[in-house]
Amino acid sequence: MRIGAMLGDISRSLFKRPVTERYPFERKAAPERLRGQLTFDPAKCTGCKICVRDCPANGIEIMVVDKVAKRFVMRFHTDRCTYCAQCVVSCNFDALGMSHEQWELAALSKEAFLVSFGREEDIQALLNQVTCKPGAAPVVPVAPATT
Amino acid sequence: MDTQQEPRKTFVVPIGPQHPALKEPGHFEITVDGEIVTAATVRLGYVHRGIEKGVEQRNWAQAMYMLERICGICSHVHATAYALGVEALAGVQAPPRAQAIRVLVAELERVHSHLLWLGVAAHEGGFDTLFMYSWRDREMIMDVLEGLTGNRVNYSCNVLGGVKFDVDDTQADAIRRAVDFLEPRTHHYLKVVTTDETLIGRTRNVGKMTFLEAETLGTVGPTARASGVPRDIRVDSPYAAYPDFPVKTITATAGDLEAKFVVRIQELFESYRVIREILDKLPAGDLAVRVKPRVPPGETVSRVEAPRGELFYFLKSAGGPNPDRVKVRTPSLCNWGSVLATAPGHKLADVPMLIAGIDPCFSCNDRLVTVRRRSTAETWTWAKLRQYGIEYYR
Amino acid sequence: MNIELPPLVALLLFPGGLFLLSAGTVYEWADRKLVARFQNRIGPRWFQPVADVVKLLAKEEIVPDGVNPVLFHGLPVVALVGTLTAALYVPMAGIAPSYSFTGDLIVTLYLLSLMTLSMGLAGANTLDRFSLIGATRALTQLFSYEAPFLMALLGPAIAAGSWQISQVDAYAQGHWWLVLTQPVGFLVALVGLMGKLELPPFDSPEAETEIVAGPMTEYSGRGWALFRIGRDVELLVGLTLMAAFYLGGLANPIEFMLKTGGLLLVTAALQSLFCRLRIDQTVGMWWRIGILLALAQLFLLVFMR
Repeated sequence: MRIGAMLGDISRSLFKRPVTERYPFERKAAPERLRGQLTFDPAKCTGCKICVRDCPANGIEIMVVDKVAKRFVMRFHTDRCTYCAQCVVSCNFDALGMSHEQWELAALSKEAFLVSFGREEDIQALLNQVTCKPGAAPVVPVAPATT
Repeated sequence: MDTQQEPRKTFVVPIGPQHPALKEPGHFEITVDGEIVTAATVRLGYVHRGIEKGVEQRNWAQAMYMLERICGICSHVHATAYALGVEALAGVQAPPRAQAIRVLVAELERVHSHLLWLGVAAHEGGFDTLFMYSWRDREMIMDVLEGLTGNRVNYSCNVLGGVKFDVDDTQADAIRRAVDFLEPRTHHYLKVVTTDETLIGRTRNVGKMTFLEAETLGTVGPTARASGVPRDIRVDSPYAAYPDFPVKTITATAGDLEAKFVVRIQELFESYRVIREILDKLPAGDLAVRVKPRVPPGETVSRVEAPRGELFYFLKSAGGPNPDRVKVRTPSLCNWGSVLATAPGHKLADVPMLIAGIDPCFSCNDRLVTVRRRSTAETWTWAKLRQYGIEYYR
Repeated sequence: MNIELPPLVALLLFPGGLFLLSAGTVYEWADRKLVARFQNRIGPRWFQPVADVVKLLAKEEIVPDGVNPVLFHGLPVVALVGTLTAALYVPMAGIAPSYSFTGDLIVTLYLLSLMTLSMGLAGANTLDRFSLIGATRALTQLFSYEAPFLMALLGPAIAAGSWQISQVDAYAQGHWWLVLTQPVGFLVALVGLMGKLELPPFDSPEAETEIVAGPMTEYSGRGWALFRIGRDVELLVGLTLMAAFYLGGLANPIEFMLKTGGLLLVTAALQSLFCRLRIDQTVGMWWRIGILLALAQLFLLVFMR
């Protein structure tokens, strides 16, 4: 029974720096295992689409341009992703990974939430296929090829 | 106060659905006579998200992530309960190392949940300093969990058949450091909650529940253990790696709010011990075994001890790629009765602390709600509902 | 320090009016910052209280159904006017009070009580259930701390033999700090001041986890801003009064800053040290302990003279 059991804490704190992290001004390195933005290595991909099947959030689209020449386009929706890394576990060929450097993914426009991986000309070709007008915003969701 | 009408006999204070005391929506009608509570009712169901139904439309692997999001605080135990159930259905067993890592993360999560509760309960009582300090120290565990699993909440540590990641030496050291830091702090908090005059004035003999009442009301977890009911799934029916790393059931006899503080804080010490033991004796081996995408038909029940009490999963498979039925019962639901039963006779000022005392998680327990206040209940067809909507906004 | 100021300047600019408003927000900021530091947090930036007030003043004020609009708009003004007037009788900023007459101590204390009274009435004016409970609590608390607080401030007045604030201040400047000779009175007065300002742990009238904002629940814009400024000024006046009476008087602005700042540090520590008291605990504490201590000291003083 005593009054003010936290006196020690508060008097010490007066002479200590606050623990609050001033986040945008002072940055701490993110831990190596942080699950940030998805990364894709087309050279390792086989186009099996297990990642697409297992993704709980429909965040991945993989379009096969040429399986033999390893030409794949992966479209990743950062806004849909729940960052659970199930796709990384499901991938048997280590084609997917999660970056611990790119994790500040907030954006003011919808376009920024769609990240495409693959060869530039393939992405453009696919975009031209699905968009009626050239130059239209590439936000039209591409239905995953059902073969 | 319309004087024309007959004078109001009761004065009902509504707490919720939107109220600063509640971080999630729930509705309490507290009937008061001056400051004294004479009756209390609860209405839940504001955050029903249809998760059980949603799970039926996802395959076995996807379902886990949805179930993990039932609760933000104790996400890992949900995934563990589900994964253990699916593994039982599929007839596989996760390797011992995976089971140990599951328990490790579960105990780290318990530490973070109990420290969070300590802060919330202190805040409800207006003791913001304890709130700030306990949450400051909880940040150590959050950092450890982030470094270990890659996320602060929704760790996604499980996969069907095992876990996703290993615990290496640097991680183990980080966990040990955090636990070494937290243990003396926890001793300090135990001293604060058992000696600070003002806090004791708010907790001692408040919300007292006898052993018999706790039994009859069907309470679970720390709420039951504070009344001396030794109910702990980790001990009663050990799962995952708990047979190898046994825990001790912490009970208290007083059954009041102070006992709930003491039980939860003492459980922290038990968690620290288990965490250290697992790090020292982590079994070698694989991290996961393969689970086929189609699970053989069958039914199973999976029970785990969440930080708030017993978490119950019923899983049914029809042999397809999706679960046929998943039924979840979260611990908060079992404990509401104890709040309503103990509230009458207390001061209005005690009610937020009583509600916080069971560590409620509203969105966890909102499964399927049927509200039938009057006999006019009817089922609306889609067409009728649509028509109503059109007319409502006309 | 004795400065002769034209009455209009004294009323509107310094030490009344504008100075009070700005100094009040500065003290509120200091209080919040100190509490934050005690809790190992950063706390608000220096302009936060001003920004809050400006935002509130610019906001629409919603007059709820069933209230008396005159009272609803009038009570915040009364509260602010009460505290602003009270400030004129205390040695604000270490210079002699702008206005002074025999017995102004009692008037000042009543003017300070106007704040709580207005808040209680404002709460009782609305139909909101949180406000009604908050109003009941605020007025109950008023009746519990008021008597001990008054008696605790009478201690120095009796020692000085005058009920005029400026004379008590002058007496305090010429003698030992009264906190050493009347420690009990100082303690009661300090805790009483915290009760008056509804600072934690005496914030049960506006306990946010129970009754949202208590009597202030229905106030959204200007009214709430005025109540807030009123409370800031009351904090300033209360600290000035305490420093003048118990901490050896206020002879100049530097002493004023140091002494009130020191007092603020102590109140901030007390605010962060305790769990909120229930209203029955608050009343019990004041009538069982507070009043007895204050009475004992008062009797002692009367007999010693």
